[in-house]
Amino acid sequence: MTESSQGPTNDRRAFLRGAVGGTALGALGMMGAYSYSPLRRAHFDTAEGAKTDIGAVKSLKVTNISETSWFNNADLIGDIRGAGGLLVNQYKFNWPPFADKNGKLAEGSYADGIKHIKADLPNNLERAWAFQMENAVHPENAGGYAALLEIEMRDGSTKKILLDSGWSYDWIDKAFQREGIDTMLANGEIDALIISHEHFDHFWGFPVSMKYAPEIDVYVPDGFYEEGFQYVKDSGHRGKLHVMKPGLTPLFDGVAIYNFAIPIITRVYGENSLYVNIEGKGLVSVTGCCHQGIIRFAETALKEIKMDKLYGIYGGLHISPFDDWDPKYDDLVFTLGDYGFEKIGANHCTGLLTVKKFIARGLPVVQGTARFGSKDPVYLGNGDQIGFGREVPLMSPVSAEVAPAAYSPPASGAGDDAVKGATY
Amino acid sequence: MPSSETMERYGDGYLEERNLVQRWPTPIPQILNLVLLGALFYATWWIFQDPRGWLRLYTPFVGYNYCRWLLIIFIWMVYIFNFWPFRRVWLERTHPVVKAVVLTSIAFVIMMIVIKGFFEGLLGSYGLAYFSPDQMQKIGITEFFAEEYAALAILMFAALASWLSPAWIVGMEGAPWHKERQPVRGITILLVTFFLATIIFFMTMHPHMGILYKEWQSFAAIAPPWWHDFADTVSGNFHVSWIMCCTVVVWLVETIWERYPFRVIRHDWARRFATFFGIIAIAFACHFFLYFAQELWWGEAVRGTRRLMAPDWRWLHVGEMMIFFLLPALFITFYFGNWPRKGSPTYRVAVRTLVTLVAAIVIYWLYYNTSHLFLGTQKGFSHPQQFPMIPTIWLINIMLINHWFMDNWPGWKIAPQTSTESARNETAMDPALKPAE
Repeated sequence: MTESSQGPTNDRRAFLRGAVGGTALGALGMMGAYSYSPLRRAHFDTAEGAKTDIGAVKSLKVTNISETSWFNNADLIGDIRGAGGLLVNQYKFNWPPFADKNGKLAEGSYADGIKHIKADLPNNLERAWAFQMENAVHPENAGGYAALLEIEMRDGSTKKILLDSGWSYDWIDKAFQREGIDTMLANGEIDALIISHEHFDHFWGFPVSMKYAPEIDVYVPDGFYEEGFQYVKDSGHRGKLHVMKPGLTPLFDGVAIYNFAIPIITRVYGENSLYVNIEGKGLVSVTGCCHQGIIRFAETALKEIKMDKLYGIYGGLHISPFDDWDPKYDDLVFTLGDYGFEKIGANHCTGLLTVKKFIARGLPVVQGTARFGSKDPVYLGNGDQIGFGREVPLMSPVSAEVAPAAYSPPASGAGDDAVKGATY
Repeated sequence: MPSSETMERYGDGYLEERNLVQRWPTPIPQILNLVLLGALFYATWWIFQDPRGWLRLYTPFVGYNYCRWLLIIFIWMVYIFNFWPFRRVWLERTHPVVKAVVLTSIAFVIMMIVIKGFFEGLLGSYGLAYFSPDQMQKIGITEFFAEEYAALAILMFAALASWLSPAWIVGMEGAPWHKERQPVRGITILLVTFFLATIIFFMTMHPHMGILYKEWQSFAAIAPPWWHDFADTVSGNFHVSWIMCCTVVVWLVETIWERYPFRVIRHDWARRFATFFGIIAIAFACHFFLYFAQELWWGEAVRGTRRLMAPDWRWLHVGEMMIFFLLPALFITFYFGNWPRKGSPTYRVAVRTLVTLVAAIVIYWLYYNTSHLFLGTQKGFSHPQQFPMIPTIWLINIMLINHWFMDNWPGWKIAPQTSTESARNETAMDPALKPAE
């Protein structure tokens, strides 16, 4: 029984207490009601800020060199789980190419791994990878992400950007050779190598690019860790290294890098993505993984860049990379159509389930051919191309010579001759 | 039944009646206990949760599941069952460390039975697949996500119970079963609050789980969930937010607010209903206000995007912000004797609330600037692996062990009350903190 139920000791005091308490509660209630009423919008900043004119280009062609960063979700996520979850430092996994001789999951480090391969970087990658095949955790699961952007400038010239450098030395080198990237790099035809973020599947194949073009300009995001910078050096890079600070940085006329300062799993931080403004068409978003989220990427563009409209998307959209699901992903499926994109080439970490939901909702997804290890034609797959402001054949010409027919191999990748063409 | 058994009070009123005496002048005991809490927190965090540590349960939901269930089982043991079946004399005479080991071990065993036996084994195998990682793997979900999804579903029961169980004691004063003896009172309140938790779970988290699958489980769950238009998301985080607000407000009302202003209501049932539903009303005000505060700070949320700007994360972050208020509120009550104890109730409540607000903001700032360094969490605010509710509740669990099971050892000890102290306490003791009769 409480004091108050024992009877009033002082009516005036009790009244004042009640009045104070009631007023406080009432004020709290009003504050809560106001906080989610339409009236609150009066407090939001609706003034348009100054937009940056990044220029424009005539057209963009993106060739998917490889979107298959790994081949078996269960193995990859099993390793992550076994190592202690999504926050464990990626350099500790004992994944290739940083295997030590112990080879135990979660007991590696950059220092222990690099000492076994440093002497072989970047010119003896076969030997370096052979060591991984013997000592690393799931070396056969490593693939990699890389894409070539060919930009037709308004003056008629062409700029080429290599976005990311994959993971497995063996896999990405073969993919480079298949698409002729090795020759382009060696001839100095590629103007820049942009590393979207420090993740294993985008960055750890870095020595393969260095094998062909050690002098190339490299762009990494702010947030790279000490190990990442050391790996750039240990891979034999001798060109300029640009560390992109958060925000918009114009690269060429019509092309800009946007750095998002965002935390990413396995202790990675920051991502570079690209905006390419196509004259008369609109803005294309090109991403490695798009950890910032495609809607945020689009909203950022709408807020900060002068453009006609949002036009296209290419890359990994990092929605359900392991074909996991969360209701919040449905929020994206519900709303992406509102942004007016006309061409969407999605793959890699977007999630097959996500793209299937996009298609079911009528979004303009450009589907691929499921060759060279890509599992499903809903993805714009390995060796496929997409044009923005120009029409291009779905298969890159060189890949069409190797594998002219589109097909859907089993989900495991077994029976895919192109995959068998790799070491494993 | 023997007469001694009939008269046994177990831990009924034990927390309020024990005479805790500081071994040294302020602030030595407070600092000493803070050091002990910090050491225990960090050692156990490293062993169980830290992604760089030993068991690495911070996946995050697997670790969060254990964390939330430990919390609610502590609450059940102390608030609902009043330490039953431990006799009063055992509570008073056993060394605090022994009590902590025994009672925490029991809580751990109960937790494993509830999670592994009741939810995963029974409900997951024979009722709803999403409670069982094994069942979800059978339908093709990766082991990691099967464990995460199951942990999320199971922990939401704990989250609901950690609001409803203490709310029944604080708000409804345990009525109408407050005069029953243990374990009848405990079992009854446990069953009633668990039943209420089940109803609310099915209206809130079940539709969230129902759209995890492809295809949406439209025949079994409302899909898309009923709240998605006004919450701006299909995610159940909308409910996580207000449920966390309720959980925290219960303890604010119970500790630093001394059950004001509701206690001024004289009619028992009016007071009980006003307190129980008043807590919910305050929680909803916080739920909406803290969402609005984020909109003012970071800009209006955009549906479909991820993390910082996403409505689902903003709702989750409301709950995360609320938990930062709970830490200083409990610390003031447990280790500073609910300072200040003098002055009018309005003054006391206002001062404590102000101190709690300031301390919460400081802890929030410190946490987001340092947690990735010493807890192994992800940098930044909004990554799915940045989950401040886990370390904060982990610390609260340790504070509860220290305060409830260890009588604030080593900074305090239980001293026999003199007749003068006893009389003074009887008049000065906050009736709101007395056990329900």
